[in-house]
Order: sequence, then C-alpha cells, then structure tokens
Amino acid sequence: MTAIVSLKDVQKYYGTYHALRGVTLDIAQGEFFSLLGPSGCGKTTLLRTIAGFEDISEGTLILSGQNMADVPANKRPTNMVFQSYAIFPHLSVGENVAFGLRKRSDLNTKEKAALVQDALEMVGLVGFEKRAAHALSGGQRQRVALARALILKPKVLLLDEPLSALDKKMRDQMQNELRQLQRHVGITFILVTHDQEEALIMSDRIAVMFDGEIAQLADPQTLYRRPISRRVADFIGVMNFLPANASGNKIDIPGLGAATLTPEQCPGGTPSGPCTIGIRPETMSILFGTEPAPARETNGTVHELAYYGDMTYYDIALPGVEKPVTLSMKNLVGRRVLERGESTRISWDDRALVAFAD
Amino acid sequence: MFRNSQTARGLTLIAPPALYALLLLAVPLLAIFAFSFWSQDFLTIDYTPTLNNYREALSEPLYTELMMRSVLIAGAVTVATVLLAFPIAYFVSFHVPQSRKSLWIFLITIPFWTSYLIRVFLWKVILGYNGVLNSSLLSIGIIDEPLTFILYNANAVVITLAHAFAPFAILPIFVSLEKIDRSLLEASRDLGENHVMTFLRVTLPLAVPGVVAATLIVFIPTIGDYVTPRLVGGPNGLMIANMIQTQFLKLNNAPMGAALAVIAMAIVTVIALFFIFLNRRWLKGRNS
Repeated sequence: MTAIVSLKDVQKYYGTYHALRGVTLDIAQGEFFSLLGPSGCGKTTLLRTIAGFEDISEGTLILSGQNMADVPANKRPTNMVFQSYAIFPHLSVGENVAFGLRKRSDLNTKEKAALVQDALEMVGLVGFEKRAAHALSGGQRQRVALARALILKPKVLLLDEPLSALDKKMRDQMQNELRQLQRHVGITFILVTHDQEEALIMSDRIAVMFDGEIAQLADPQTLYRRPISRRVADFIGVMNFLPANASGNKIDIPGLGAATLTPEQCPGGTPSGPCTIGIRPETMSILFGTEPAPARETNGTVHELAYYGDMTYYDIALPGVEKPVTLSMKNLVGRRVLERGESTRISWDDRALVAFAD
Repeated sequence: MFRNSQTARGLTLIAPPALYALLLLAVPLLAIFAFSFWSQDFLTIDYTPTLNNYREALSEPLYTELMMRSVLIAGAVTVATVLLAFPIAYFVSFHVPQSRKSLWIFLITIPFWTSYLIRVFLWKVILGYNGVLNSSLLSIGIIDEPLTFILYNANAVVITLAHAFAPFAILPIFVSLEKIDRSLLEASRDLGENHVMTFLRVTLPLAVPGVVAATLIVFIPTIGDYVTPRLVGGPNGLMIANMIQTQFLKLNNAPMGAALAVIAMAIVTVIALFFIFLNRRWLKGRNS
C-alpha cells in the first residue's frame, strides 16, 4: 500500500487543551477513508491539520511523499468540501467552480470554461453556471462545493461533515453519488462524520476517534462485528451489553448461559474475571410456536416493543438479567408481532458474541 | 377598514413617529421647496412663482463655486474617512478576539462622548498657528516655521470632518466584515489563493455593502455641514451651508437660501441614488 497521507504521532494543543493525542495513520491512494467520532473527538481538527488550517504541535504529516510542516494551506495538494459548503455568495455557480483556476496560467479562457463544464457535468449541474449561489438548494450547494474542489484534481479530497445539513432522502442519495464519484475519479477521499451509518455505507476504512485518539481503525465489517472496546461498540450501531465472568476461554453469561469464545471474538484481548459481553440485536431472533432453534435458545418475556414498519424492536427480559436485551425482527409476511408481557423463546448464535474486558 | 387587526396595530404603533416626522420633516421641507419658487421683495415675500432663484444659483460663480467646493470637500472627507476606517474595522473584526470586540467598538465611540462643537474647537487648538502640532514639530526641529496650510482652509475642514465621522464609517464596515462567513476565507485559501488574493477576491467584494453604507453615511451629512467650515475653514474653506445660512439670516433672502438648499439636496439625492444603484448592481443575486 502506497500511503498518500501519512501521519506520525501527530499532537495538537490548543493552549492547555490536548486536541490530538498522538495520531498515527496511513491512508492509501484511492481509498475512501472516514474519521468517525462524537463531537469534540478531534476528527475535524485532524482534517483541518491535513488541509493546513491548523498547525500540528508535534509529529509529522506527509502528503504524497512531501513533509507538510512548512507548506501553507494554499500550497497543499488537498481540497476541501466544507460543512457549510462555503459557496462564495458574490459569485455565480460557474465563477465558484472556476475560483481555483485563476492561477492556471497554462490554460486559456476557453480551456478553463471547458474544465468548468466538465466539473459541472460530473456533479450533475450542467446549465447551472450562470445561477446565483443563493438560488441553490442544499444538495446543489454541495455539488458546487464538490465541483469546485475536484476541478483542481487534488491528491486528497477532504470532506467535513458534508451531508449533515441535508435532509434524510437527499443524504441517502448523496451518499450513493459520493461513493460513485470517488470510484470514478479515483481520488483519495477523507470524510469526517459523526454518523456511523454514513461511515459504514461509504468507507473503505474507518478510524473511530475518541478524545483525540484513534480507538479503532478497521474496515466497516470488522468495525461492526468486532469492535475493539465497549465504547466503540456502543458508538457503532446498537449493541446489548451483558455482564459476564470469564475463566480461561469459557465465559459465563447470566441469562444466556456459558459460552466458549474464539480469540477473534475478543478483539480487545481475551478477558479474565468480570467482563462484558456484547451482542447485536439483529443476531438474535424470536422463536415462534415450536419452531426449532437454529443455535442456542432461552426463555424470556416481552418487556417493551417498538414497531418500525419494516422491523420490530423487542426488549426481552431474561431471567437473572437486570437490563432487558434488545433484538430486532423483520416484519415478514405472516409473522406475528408479539405483545407486551408475552412469554417467548429467543435464539442466538454464540459466534455473534463479542467480549470486552471491564 | 383594515383587513386585519395586525395591520391596524402596526399603523397605530408607527403613528406617533410618523406624525412627528411629517410635522417636523415633511412640512419644513415643503416650506423650503415652496420658498425656493418665491422671491424676496425687500421686507416682504413676493409669492409669484418664479425660477429666478434657481437661474441665479446656477449662473452666479460664487454659488456654483461653493457648490463645487462642498461636493469636493465632502468627497475628500468621505474618501479619507472610508480609507482610514476600513483597516480599523478589519482589524477589530478579524484580529480582535471575539470577547474583546464589543469593548473595541465601545472605545471607537469615545469621540462621541464630547460634543461635536468641542471636538471642532479641539482641532483648532491642534492645527492652529501656535497650536499643538506646529509647536511640537517646531520644538523637535522638523519644521522651521509654523505650517499654515493646516488651518483656516479646506484641509482643516477635511481633517476635522474625517475625524468626526470616523465611527460612522467604521461601524457599517465592521458589521459587513463580521457577516462574512470565515469558512469562505478558508475556502479561498484551500483553492490556492494567498492572504492578499483572498482579501481581494473574497473579503473586499463581500465588504462592499458596508463600504457603500459608510460612504453614504459620511457623504450626506458632510456636504451640508455648517459648523466645521465656519470654525476651521477660513474664507477658502466655506461650504454651501454657510452660504445658505448667510442668505437666510444675514441677507434676509430666504427664497435664495431655499433654492440653494434644494439644489444641495438634489446633488445629495443624485449621488445617493448612484451609490444605491451601484450597491444593487453589486449585490445582484445576493440574499444578504
């Protein structure tokens, strides 16, 4: 893997506040990389240090083989799509897109206009070049911001929560388009987001950040199935946490009985003594009538339920477990929705369990 | 009578100031306008409508020269004030920490703590033949004899008015700079422009509404200023307002004074309209 972006032990202080605590990271050419974390975790700071808007206090940042220590933002091979899109309000769409072309003295006016046309075509805004910036919808502004950045053919495109200002439908559509666009242009994208679903959908790899540090760096499936800590697991999707007790590779889980876990199921290291077991709602299911269990089963009572249309989420109280476990069932044709207080059998597979040391 | 009670309530709310404005602004204005078409017949007013006042105002070199001078002085004051106000507004908006900005704006208004008249007198003390400026320069040997071009002429009027109107220029420019989304400046840097080009391509164009407002706010009152030219202008620094005063109070020719006042207002209107038009053109397609 040839790293286009390489960070080594990057530290950032704001006065006494330690915003980045030793971030080491390599991002490959052509990768769709996401920085995921709650607000204040340092993901935006990290993106801004790559763009050159923030100095790094310690450590090194190498972009495309060149140390960026003394390179100002306007000389870096990166371009950014801002959270607010930062469309110049005094310029038209075409002028916005052409903004960065002023310095390209190798191009004449005609060639520049052609480049603007190509860029607008790429983001689906042909015929908009005369349009005033304020006459654009949120999705169109986003496209202008993309065209304006991509027209300069950056080595790395930085996206700072680009979809957070859009409504749900538009966001879904743009996620798709962004992904396709990235494959099409082959430029490395670094996306900052607090939306775990967005990160899972779009990324080749995701770095989950907490408190200025990378907690886990993995591809979406590994991140979802094998979160390294309870905190990561809690941040990515929904997971049930059950108190348990480990001795050797045997783990005793009140409510679910004893289970044997493989080392892969303990991504944070094999625990011993009191620990926490995690299991995702969709890996458990309700057994109707005398339906045989595909794996292990136990009895419980419906404590609460939430009907989502396509899915129903049940909170099932298990004997000997304080907190009910949440599981989800698809509302298939002919499948009944249980009622509150109803007794039921539930089933799960031990392979879906993940153990975290306490 | 009113389509809804909200309209009625709105009209009721604006009625007192509207009435006030009507009585104290519109009525005197109309009176001035009416006077300008009459003529003074020794002690009485001749009410026969005539354009003689305007004819005289536009042909008599004394009047036209005063008019021209007023426009030039007001123009010079405006240019000087806006050029000096912009860096101050820029500094406060971009380089003063957020928590200190209101303090800075407060400090900028300090000149208003003393009366306008006192400030004009202070400039007399500073710029005078034996004034603060001359005696300081003399004592440190930069000049051999007192400078005389700084008091009792148009220069003194420009210096005094530029100082008096500085806060009026700083504030609208400051507001327009404050409204600029800082991510736009980062976007410009990100797209390859350095600080200077970012200023020219983003900051300055977006500050134009503030600059236009500052220009109008300074130019309009300056062109009709009476006190400053009277006190520091000397014979060559007098402006049209001084002549209007002379016509009304010394020469007892109210119709002539009224005609000069109407012409001065017309000039201001034309220039103001030009700037408003400029602003509109500039802001075409902008929502803020």
